[in-house]
Amino acid sequence: MDDLLNEFLTETGESIDVVDVELVKLEQDPNNKEVLDNIFRLVHTIKGTCGFLGLPRLESVAHASENVLGKFRDGELQVTEGAVTVILESLDQIKEILAGLEATEEEPEGDDSDLIGRLDAIAEGGEAPLAEPDPEPDTVDGEIIDPGLGRSIKPGEVSLEELEAAFANAPGPGDEPEDTAAPAGASADNNDGSLFERVGGEDTVAVAAHLISQRAENDEKIAKFFAGTNQDQRKGRFMGLMLALFKDDLDAADAVGRQLISVAGFGEAQFNHLLEIVKSVLVECHVHADAADEAVMTFELVREAVINASKEVAQPKPGSTGQAQAGESQAGAAKETRRSTQSIRVSVDLLEDLMNMVSELVLTRNQLLQITRNMDNSELGVPLQRLSQCTTELQENVMKTRMQPIGNAWAKLPRIVRDLTVELDKKIELEMLGADTELDRQVLELIKDPLTHMVRNSADHGVESPAERIAAGKPEMGTIVLNAYHEGGHIIIEINDDGRGINPEKLSKKILEKGLASEGELAGMSEAQIQKFIFHPGFSTAEQVTSVSGRGVGMDVVRSNIEKIGGTIDMVSTVGKGSSFSIKIPLTLAIVAGLIVKAQEERYAIPQISVLELVRATNAEKAGENDHKIEMINDTPVLRLRNRLLPLVYLNEVLGFETSEEVEARDATDDFIVVSQVGAFTFGIVVDQVFDTEEIVVKPVAPILKDLDIYSGNTILGDGSVIMILDPNGIANMASQGVSDAVEEEDEHEQTRRAAANNKESMLVFRAGQKHPRAVPLSLVARLEEISIDDVEKSDGRLMVQYRGALMPLILADNAMSLRESGSQQVLVFTDRQFTMGLAVDEILDIVEDELDIKLVSDKDGVIGSAVINGKASEVIDVTYFLGLAFPDWLATADMSEESSVARSAANILVVDDSDFFRNMLRPILSVAGYRVKAVSSAGEALDLLETGEAFDLIISDIEMPDMSGFEFAKAVRANDEWAGTKLVALSALSSEKDINRGFEAGFDDYVAKFDKDTLLRSLSQQFKIKGDAA
Amino acid sequence: MNDLVVRDDLSLVATGTQDFVTVMLEGQLVGIPVLAVHDVLNAQKLTVIPRSPDWVAGVLNLRGRIVTAIDLRRRLDLPPLEEGKSSMSVVVEHNEEPYSLQIDKVGEVLSLDDQLFEKNPVTLDPRWREVSVGIYRLKDQLLPILDVDRLLAFESNSKAA
Repeated sequence: MDDLLNEFLTETGESIDVVDVELVKLEQDPNNKEVLDNIFRLVHTIKGTCGFLGLPRLESVAHASENVLGKFRDGELQVTEGAVTVILESLDQIKEILAGLEATEEEPEGDDSDLIGRLDAIAEGGEAPLAEPDPEPDTVDGEIIDPGLGRSIKPGEVSLEELEAAFANAPGPGDEPEDTAAPAGASADNNDGSLFERVGGEDTVAVAAHLISQRAENDEKIAKFFAGTNQDQRKGRFMGLMLALFKDDLDAADAVGRQLISVAGFGEAQFNHLLEIVKSVLVECHVHADAADEAVMTFELVREAVINASKEVAQPKPGSTGQAQAGESQAGAAKETRRSTQSIRVSVDLLEDLMNMVSELVLTRNQLLQITRNMDNSELGVPLQRLSQCTTELQENVMKTRMQPIGNAWAKLPRIVRDLTVELDKKIELEMLGADTELDRQVLELIKDPLTHMVRNSADHGVESPAERIAAGKPEMGTIVLNAYHEGGHIIIEINDDGRGINPEKLSKKILEKGLASEGELAGMSEAQIQKFIFHPGFSTAEQVTSVSGRGVGMDVVRSNIEKIGGTIDMVSTVGKGSSFSIKIPLTLAIVAGLIVKAQEERYAIPQISVLELVRATNAEKAGENDHKIEMINDTPVLRLRNRLLPLVYLNEVLGFETSEEVEARDATDDFIVVSQVGAFTFGIVVDQVFDTEEIVVKPVAPILKDLDIYSGNTILGDGSVIMILDPNGIANMASQGVSDAVEEEDEHEQTRRAAANNKESMLVFRAGQKHPRAVPLSLVARLEEISIDDVEKSDGRLMVQYRGALMPLILADNAMSLRESGSQQVLVFTDRQFTMGLAVDEILDIVEDELDIKLVSDKDGVIGSAVINGKASEVIDVTYFLGLAFPDWLATADMSEESSVARSAANILVVDDSDFFRNMLRPILSVAGYRVKAVSSAGEALDLLETGEAFDLIISDIEMPDMSGFEFAKAVRANDEWAGTKLVALSALSSEKDINRGFEAGFDDYVAKFDKDTLLRSLSQQFKIKGDAA
Repeated sequence: MNDLVVRDDLSLVATGTQDFVTVMLEGQLVGIPVLAVHDVLNAQKLTVIPRSPDWVAGVLNLRGRIVTAIDLRRRLDLPPLEEGKSSMSVVVEHNEEPYSLQIDKVGEVLSLDDQLFEKNPVTLDPRWREVSVGIYRLKDQLLPILDVDRLLAFESNSKAA
């Protein structure tokens, strides 16, 4: 029974999916009889099987929708959107019940009467336009009393009027087995001619057969004898039987009669009962009473055959003629079904096993080939060649069994789009191209949801309403095109819509709202760059959150899902014209191309998909002008690659073979650098040697090694040796710990990217002492001066210069530099409150508008870190350090100055941030803006300060901090009444909507994204304004 | 074959005999239930796994299956094998994953009477006690029995490693 139920569930599930799609097709093309027949058949089968398995709830729902479908088919009802919606609903209901069945093996409790009622209402609705002058059906308590029957119609029965209608305009069920029989055309009132003609011809017989089969099924006395057949079969048999009998074809009648009953125990009494049904049906079908009697009489001819057949079932007699005939015709019936089942079901596990075995076989074959290559024994050569060929073919075929057409992942889309069009009142056509493009089922499963989500998005956000479309001069019907095709070992899936496109202006507003970028930064971005923000976490462009999309998860989830399987996603959108997304994914995950590299005499594989390019770097000393060379910034190796600074990691170091000192010390003349990409983070892996690429079968690592995230699996190479497959993701994580301290625990590359996007700033680039350029944010520089060397004085061992009526200390920007002998010296003048200092530099190179993307943080005095500015690796200097050098009391004053400070004496700011970088960066920025700043490195310290009575007007706090997060800190501050007047501003890299809301809940007055100086300053002055107003 | 006896309460008088493969480890004879042993291998070419726990000797290719090799000496805090001596290994399965236990030498298969079985003496080295089910009294020496599942239950041991 379990097996039966299982089979039923799988089969019904599939049927339902097909019906889903077919119904949508039907709606578009209501006259397509083929589609209709197909749907009817499927729903019918579901119903039949339910009855067989004793699933009354499922059966009643299926029955009700079949009823409506039947009327569609008979042309009684117009295919309308409303009706289709209800039928789809009933399919959903069926799915739900099936799910319950699957879980508990029993039908779940529930009430479907509303749904069935609506289905019935639709079915009845079809009766209205009938021309039949019959009186309106009497209605008693909502039941329909059929005038012909004089009783209410049982579920499953068809009212007489329907029959009339079917009779009047029935095209005749086209799928009956005997439909090649004599042509119709005779009418019931023709008393001459054969019984067949007098009964009313084929049409009447068809209707009668339908009714008889239904009555028989619903009749308590004989229903069980028809169990195991579906209605179509029954109907076909009854029709065949009647046709044969009425046409005097006794042989045929005998044969059909034997088939009629396939359950034992059908005796005289049952046969008599059946005859009564036949008679009443014939009378109902307006068959002349005489003809009806005669027709029933003819049934006597098969009485024996039917009853005997039933007995034979009870005592099977192999070889008996009846049996053989029955068998034959069953085979005939089976042939029809077999046509659609040229495939068999195989469990996925079995396929996986097979796949594994084949992988082993391939590896063994490779080993054998390698061995024989070194032997002169030609005897082995030929059979081995043959083996090799077979193995290759076997591998290909087994791979194919894992391949499924992408159309399987699309099957649900027409229904989704169709539901959307109804819900959103849009007109959308979904075009699917390349549905038979095949890809690995594992990959298929993984892209199903992202695809669905994207199509939903296109329908919901992309395509406009018909009115909008007409206004825009487009056809009313919007189009979404899905296109899949192979391209060089990858599958490309495109999703194009001809909708409104992504409006960068609207998007910009949203970006600003969410604090993902500042106005200035947005102004500097291209439309495409702004549009790409839809891939940002927590982004949804729909103004209204509909039930369809916009549930908070958005394109970022799609992107991460696709990246997870090694794919990429790209988008081009033109406002007013539409958007086009293209997804590139690997064909399979089981066999990947791997780049084999060597580190310390061991080989490792790096998945080719994450390898961007290979670069060979030469030793820095020997390198020519055009050679790539590894440069060291603050002991960190980097590679300059096409105007980008590429962080490097040594595989030897990652794997723990060498310490970083050893790596540096070794005299590698040549290094191979595998440039890898993980998400948006690009870095180089330095390896000892690069071999070739090989197709490798990925096997998972043993559970014990799961914690090692530098490996994604292991594999056996052709020579039989096991090698580990490196996971660039894990290596990137490992590397990033050393690469950038500025970035906290958060996702490293995401951060770097965001920093890059947000940090376009004017930088003053200069040279001092060293060859490499240095940079300082222009906003910090008060003036640029050229000071005559003659004016430089030395006092107290320090360089001074008279400047604007005061003595200004002059600091050399680098210890290695010296002042010029004569002429004039370039000086950068920095001002902080009353302090003014000059920084002497060799040469001012340029002022560059570029992203301040600090790649490498330095702990060298006076240097914040290194960044690529104008295509060159530049050190960004720390102004605070030099101010401190010039005025030893500067820092102290900065902390303690009370009334002495210039503007805004009220503005006391406390900065709480665990990162030195940010504290050092913020202090000058805020100081320059005229605030008095104190900075502490933890929430605990800040609370201590507050406890000691130190008062601040405003606290800027980081969120991600060790021990106590910003949220907790804010709560703690808010919990104390004394500090009620203190404004709290969060400054964090966590700037998703959720985080921001959480921040406000915790008590922050404002929430500013890190790296966003302008917003911060604006927020500060705003907060002080609010404070001023309130006071 | 004998009835498998539930070994939870070993003070009960058990019946029948049990079969064990004996292996040598630093001069100590150790038993492994014969049903747990899938393969006995000579020295194999191992691929070391950098950054793995020190008692993971590496991985090897056993007829197309990738087997994780466990260095039993390290696992039990024994000194490493003398230079030049090659080890053998016994392949066992744990949670459907194959592991090869590296030992010095494989001995014989012994069929031992349950009467000879005793619980671990409380004074046994904790490292041994952790992985030993109990001890059989042989004529001339004692035979601790390895508890393969406990030996390979890495989840709980990963911290110690």
